[in-house]
Amino acid sequence: MQLLAEVMSNFWLGLIIKLLIVALLVPVIGMIIGFAEMKLSAKMQNRVGPYYAGGRWGWAQLIADGLKFFQKEDIIPADADRPVFKLAPALVLGATVALVVVIPFGPNMAFRNLELGLFYALAISSISTIGVLVAGWSSANKYSLIGSLRAAGQLIAYELPLVLSVVGVVILAGTMNLDAIVQAQIATGIPYVVPQFLGFVIFFIAALAELSRLPFDMPVAESELVMGYLTEYTGFRFLFFFLAEFVNMFTMSAIAVTLFLGGYHFPGLSGDLATVLGPIVLIAKSFLLVFVMLWFRWTFPRFREDQLQSMAWKVLVPLALANIAVTAILKVVI
Amino acid sequence: MTSSQPEAEAPEQEQETVEAPHPLTEFANSVAEAVGGEAVITFDTVKVSVPADRWAQALTTARDEFGLVLFSFLSAIDWSNETAVGDPLEQPLEEEYIELICTVSDVSEGKRVTFSTRLDHDHPEVQTLIDVYAGANWHEREAHEMFGIRFIGHPDLSHLYLPEGFLGHPLRKTFPLLAREVKPWPGKVDVEGMPSEEGEEGEAAEGGEGAETEEEEA
Amino acid sequence: MTLDQDLVRHLSEVSVSVELQTPEMTLNIGPQHPSTHGVLRLVARVDGERAFDVRPVIGYMHRGYEKLAEVRNYPQITTIVNRIDWVAGYANEIPFITAAEKLMELEVPPRALWIRLILTEMARMASHLIFMASYPLELGAQTPLFFALRERERVLDLLEGVTGGRFHPNFNRIGGVKPAYGSGSQTRKLIQDLPKTFYEETRVAMDEVLHVCDQLEDLVAGNEIILARTKGIGVLPPEVAVAYGVTGPNLRASGVAFDLRRVEDYLPYDQFEFNVITGQNGDCWDRWWVRLQEIRESARIVQQAIDSIPSGPIQAKVPKVIKVPKGETYVRAENPKGEMGYYLVSDGGQGPYRLKIRSASFSNISILPWILEGVLVPDIIAIMGSLDFVLGDVDR
Repeated sequence: MQLLAEVMSNFWLGLIIKLLIVALLVPVIGMIIGFAEMKLSAKMQNRVGPYYAGGRWGWAQLIADGLKFFQKEDIIPADADRPVFKLAPALVLGATVALVVVIPFGPNMAFRNLELGLFYALAISSISTIGVLVAGWSSANKYSLIGSLRAAGQLIAYELPLVLSVVGVVILAGTMNLDAIVQAQIATGIPYVVPQFLGFVIFFIAALAELSRLPFDMPVAESELVMGYLTEYTGFRFLFFFLAEFVNMFTMSAIAVTLFLGGYHFPGLSGDLATVLGPIVLIAKSFLLVFVMLWFRWTFPRFREDQLQSMAWKVLVPLALANIAVTAILKVVI
Repeated sequence: MTSSQPEAEAPEQEQETVEAPHPLTEFANSVAEAVGGEAVITFDTVKVSVPADRWAQALTTARDEFGLVLFSFLSAIDWSNETAVGDPLEQPLEEEYIELICTVSDVSEGKRVTFSTRLDHDHPEVQTLIDVYAGANWHEREAHEMFGIRFIGHPDLSHLYLPEGFLGHPLRKTFPLLAREVKPWPGKVDVEGMPSEEGEEGEAAEGGEGAETEEEEA
Repeated sequence: MTLDQDLVRHLSEVSVSVELQTPEMTLNIGPQHPSTHGVLRLVARVDGERAFDVRPVIGYMHRGYEKLAEVRNYPQITTIVNRIDWVAGYANEIPFITAAEKLMELEVPPRALWIRLILTEMARMASHLIFMASYPLELGAQTPLFFALRERERVLDLLEGVTGGRFHPNFNRIGGVKPAYGSGSQTRKLIQDLPKTFYEETRVAMDEVLHVCDQLEDLVAGNEIILARTKGIGVLPPEVAVAYGVTGPNLRASGVAFDLRRVEDYLPYDQFEFNVITGQNGDCWDRWWVRLQEIRESARIVQQAIDSIPSGPIQAKVPKVIKVPKGETYVRAENPKGEMGYYLVSDGGQGPYRLKIRSASFSNISILPWILEGVLVPDIIAIMGSLDFVLGDVDR
């Protein structure tokens, strides 16, 4: 423990170790979630799922898929804007990875514990919207452009409920520092999901929409737009987008867990034990929320674009505002 | 007014629709009288033939007075003496014509009438039924491209099934089938023995003369 | 500084007063398209999200059945006729063979009629289960597909056990049904009938089908999103429906209780109890609902039929070379998609002089220009899916 603290306090060594951990964490978590999706959906649909790759479990399926993507030919449309075309997946994946930085994996164990951690997280997650727009525009394809505009419309519409729903938590905790929010929940002993249940629900729904997961996956699954803004992407660029989606599911869940479900805390854990088991607790709770997201995907059909927008503006935003008002009043009164 | 079979609709189990049993002859006669045509009951089907110039009025009467609102189909039969494919008629016709048939039905008891009219063989034309039954649109387009019937008043008689610029009218008896130009009907047995090719392939081999394979099917 | 101020003033004076012209786009849906049930092409003028002047272009699957029928004899035609609506293969053969038998004035033995009825109802279940699978898929729900197709496999296994074919049974013969075991003159003398295990397997399968109907109802019927996407969408008034010739579940969903199984006597439906299901509004939801209930009704009919099947011969005596006497008739049947009929004109030969095939989906989709007028583009998919057509049925 002492050695670890000393190593981490050395700036350059600590930085390299942190980079390594992130670089390993991101693809591994992406693959685990991808595999979980395949197997869970198979269970729900009376099938087996991946079976042959890797014994009879199929755990090597995602690795095989990744390798397959890497060895594909890199096709860029002739009319496409090459630098921008290559930039788009980097933007989307980069925004997701940048989110991982502020998540507290244990007491004092965020990669970088920013005072405005929550603000940073919400802001960074909007950069992936730019990535989507840029992907569609640079593809030199009429249908990709339409798809990306539709996607952008949905993403922007759901930014607002996403942001507003967490304001209640900030009011209760009094800070935007993610680690401090967890500490505040530990101090009162009640995770914020209890007083802020409405905020949790709105955050979850808005997060699903931000991720373009069913029931909000109109941009990707448009019947007449092939794959929407992803049409012209092949090979490892396509893999980047998909990896970004899975990792984003994890990071959004992790943020939701941090804000509402007590983060890395488990009743009875403290001290050194918390440092070791904290990350495991956080990852477990996040996977629980990820499971719910996967579950939704296989159960619900998709919303129509206008129903989606009207739900965001006419239902979620007023509810979130009402939540803020009530929380603020009760905070003063109680 | 002839009847090939005595007809009585059997009373069905009633749940929503109740069948009032009455012989079709009475119904057929009343329809024929109302539209000014002749009725025939051929094997449980009421067929009323009307003159071509009263075609649209006859169907309007059927729809309005007899409640035959469901438009079933509209098509034609090419009664012709020369056939490029298939067997010619046993008894050659004195006069060749195109018979236009249109079946309409009601939606309560299932009474249906097939109206028919005779059109000129080489230049058939008749009033369109679009104003009477909206569904006649596509059926008339099909009859036009298959038989060459001109429907006066139809807004858009373009091809329905066949590609643009298709020459000829396929369902006319004089229209040859390319496969039958190559191999004459009824598909004479090829030199490479047929008996092994049963089932799907063998259908080309089983013709009118293929007695042993007939026995298996029958 | 002054440069900036000038710039700012200049920019603020330039007001965006250009009318954003959104010209109409001609959208081409199909012919290769996951949601159009085959090769159907829709040419639509789209303004933003709304489609106007939708014109279906059909004929990509036109195989010329009516001409083909003129050069074949009756047993040959039964081999091709089940390919018209390939999802419910068996049901296409019935009206044709009944028309030929009518002209020959043949008395079909009751056991054959029972077998035909059971297999027709199984074809109906197969067709409706494919609809149950594919319709939610078009709306985005991927799970009902697996549930429905699992049970469809059971039904197809039964069909295969009896007829030898899942999709193209070719099981009818003039005068009855084909003997199940072999077809040579020697085996004709053996007892040929339904497989021994057929009865028990059918009972089990019908229970499973009823169970999956309950599951599908749980999964799909109460789902808010499905309701939002199908209720009130694609309303078809009954007057328009009958004028266009729409029949089958589409017509019944609009409230018209017209079922050819009740009014036509091509099969002994009057011996069984079943309900004619109607909907109230004629929207996409009702069309889904009617088909789900019809699966249940079909399963119950099959259960009753299996318990009451009479014994006896399965084919009437027919001559070796079949010649159908001169005459014309129109026989129509309640196919899963709607009314399917054959207008058979015979000149006394071995094949028909003219065979007009009235297929259900042809009339069902002639309503598309009317019903898709001014509809949002995603709803086009929902409405087309709810009409449940098959291109083989449309194009013949």
